[in-house]
Amino acid sequence: MQFGATTLSPAEESLRAEVREFLAEQLPPDHRPALGFAGRHDPGFSRTLAARGWVGMALPPEYGGHGRSAVERFIVAEELLSAGAPIGAHFVADRQTGPALLHYGTEEQRRRFLPGIAAGEIYFSLGMSEPDSGSDLASVRTRATKVDGGWTVTGTKVWTSEAHRNHFFAVLCRTSPMEEGRKHAGLSQLIVDLQAPGVRISPIPFLDGSHHFNEVALEDVFVPDDMVLGEVGSGWRQVTSELAYERSGPDRWLSTFPVLRAFVREHAGPAVADDEATVIGRFAARFWAIRQLSLSVARALDAGEAPAVEAALVKEVGTRFEQDLVEALRVAAETEVDQGTGTLFQQLLAEAVLTSPKVTLQGGTTEILRSVAAKGLGS
Amino acid sequence: MLTEVATGVFRDLCTPEDVVAAETSGWSDRLWAALGSSGFPYVSVPEEAGGSGGDVADACALLAVAGRFAAPVPLAEAGLLGGWLLAAAGLELPVDGPLTASAGRPDDVVELSGGPGAWRLTARVHRVPWGGRSARVALLAPAGGRACVVSAPTAAARVTPGRNLAAEPRDALAWDDVPLADETVASAPAGVDDDALRLRGALGRAALISGALARVSELTLRYTGEREQFGRPIARFQAVQAHLVTIAEEAQLAGLAVEVAARNARPEPGFFDVASAKAVAGEAATVAARASHQAHGAIGMTKEYELGQLTRRLWSWRDEFGSERYWNRVLGRRLADAGADELWPRISTGLVNA
Repeated sequence: MQFGATTLSPAEESLRAEVREFLAEQLPPDHRPALGFAGRHDPGFSRTLAARGWVGMALPPEYGGHGRSAVERFIVAEELLSAGAPIGAHFVADRQTGPALLHYGTEEQRRRFLPGIAAGEIYFSLGMSEPDSGSDLASVRTRATKVDGGWTVTGTKVWTSEAHRNHFFAVLCRTSPMEEGRKHAGLSQLIVDLQAPGVRISPIPFLDGSHHFNEVALEDVFVPDDMVLGEVGSGWRQVTSELAYERSGPDRWLSTFPVLRAFVREHAGPAVADDEATVIGRFAARFWAIRQLSLSVARALDAGEAPAVEAALVKEVGTRFEQDLVEALRVAAETEVDQGTGTLFQQLLAEAVLTSPKVTLQGGTTEILRSVAAKGLGS
Repeated sequence: MLTEVATGVFRDLCTPEDVVAAETSGWSDRLWAALGSSGFPYVSVPEEAGGSGGDVADACALLAVAGRFAAPVPLAEAGLLGGWLLAAAGLELPVDGPLTASAGRPDDVVELSGGPGAWRLTARVHRVPWGGRSARVALLAPAGGRACVVSAPTAAARVTPGRNLAAEPRDALAWDDVPLADETVASAPAGVDDDALRLRGALGRAALISGALARVSELTLRYTGEREQFGRPIARFQAVQAHLVTIAEEAQLAGLAVEVAARNARPEPGFFDVASAKAVAGEAATVAARASHQAHGAIGMTKEYELGQLTRRLWSWRDEFGSERYWNRVLGRRLADAGADELWPRISTGLVNA
């Protein structure tokens, strides 16, 4: 395992400057920052961002992308996240489904979906978890049965973020019965239209009262053969490599940064108390260090490496850090908060207290990541 | 290349047994002689000043190796601190024994009086690394509105021995109206001051910590892979895996922070970089030492086993040249002064000197 320090080239630095300038124009100074990639779903913002070439950046130009590197995508993502930009509509397609389609999709699927993803117009959700399958993802029971011209899919997916607003989701399901001792075999990914007949979406209210999660029930949903993603039976391999891509980016350590910035804004100046300064310094230092770990993984991906252990470490340490920040700011601020009242800092703190427990759950729990990382460390 | 050669020297002459022996004697002559013959103590000191050349990043890479081996010698003090002070002021490096440095602690008193031909030093300096073992102590002295660099002769000092948690010498030295030769006193040029010395000291300690953490991580992986309980290696237990992951993360964070801070030094290390690197390394030392002891169980609590040599140094080095709390506080004050809009641009400035 090796993280190496990396520097940004002049071209990468100028990309950063362009994004900052864009955000200064797009986001009014008094905007309420979103916390994390799922913070706000705003198709208008996604399309405007895409018009600048900053959605689906790493996709090849022949599919509407821009052939940019993982580091360039990292730079855009960290600027958006640190500013609290509303990227919830396109982010999952940009981070996860787009690359999966590029790697495993047919030529026809690439032509059908990738230009829309890169235009900030086609949005995807993830169809992994089920009522009885969380960390043990291979135990999914959603079943696809072969029929003439396609598959019929039946089962229930849960925690499906933004299914009520997005267009499609990639459903991990069983396409052949589970065999004893080979539970990773027989799984496939199907692209399911969230508006298709037989799809029933119902909200699962989130802890802060917002509508973010859904239950998606699939009842004999017909999925044509040309909507199978990758090979039938290769779903497990595809999904686990997809999880590796999504693990190490700035969305895994920046989601609560806007709370710190609001704290600094409200406590800035020479009158800052010692314990307030200590919290600001401690978290700024660690942001700086964690960012470099995360950036080094992006650089390694560009070099054609497969830094899966490093990526798991970044997510494990980054998401716990996001939560630690919230608690440290709460202690330093000595305030009582609720949603919707008080200063911007107080409102963001309230939102972060209520929502940040999710960051160590989504995309692989801390416990699962530790087990993935520990296996890699030992080898 | 530098670090490979250094690793060879430490591997031969700085075994855990050598470290145990040095904790009684306070020192390893053999190791210091071998390091000296390769020019390692004065890496980052310009060759024209009698040093070995190289930059701050080279010195920190070397210190990370020294930290891995718990090296019982004043490597950080000789080059990054003392050598820098003397060379910056145009003073000679000592040839008759080790050079160390005094870092201007709050309880120190340094008075330089007289002038050319009649310099006199009265000083009380505290917790000087290997102070009693040194030939000379480099220190900064205020002298009539300016600062001077002094290469103070240890032989003329009264030494009160002290040590840190790892039994590394941290001695108090006192000079009472001692005459100084002209060639051991010179004006400190701009930028050579207590603040800059403290940054260098903190960066050096962070580099030592990063090396020790890398070794702690290796030792803990090895031990938990070999030690069997309940019929299998304890590394198979999730509760133990959590410790292994924590140690690896902290070691990597500290290592990368030090590397960036050191490579960004052009030529001097920057305040944000060093404050961050020392604070991160200090926290990493605490967290990783705790996790590694927990994963090792009782064997880690024995004096002979290598882990304790490393963790006792981690517990000492995290406090030397400013604890986490100190650096977090001064860093936070600067950031609060700069304002909220400067926060992200600062955090997102990583390695700028490729």
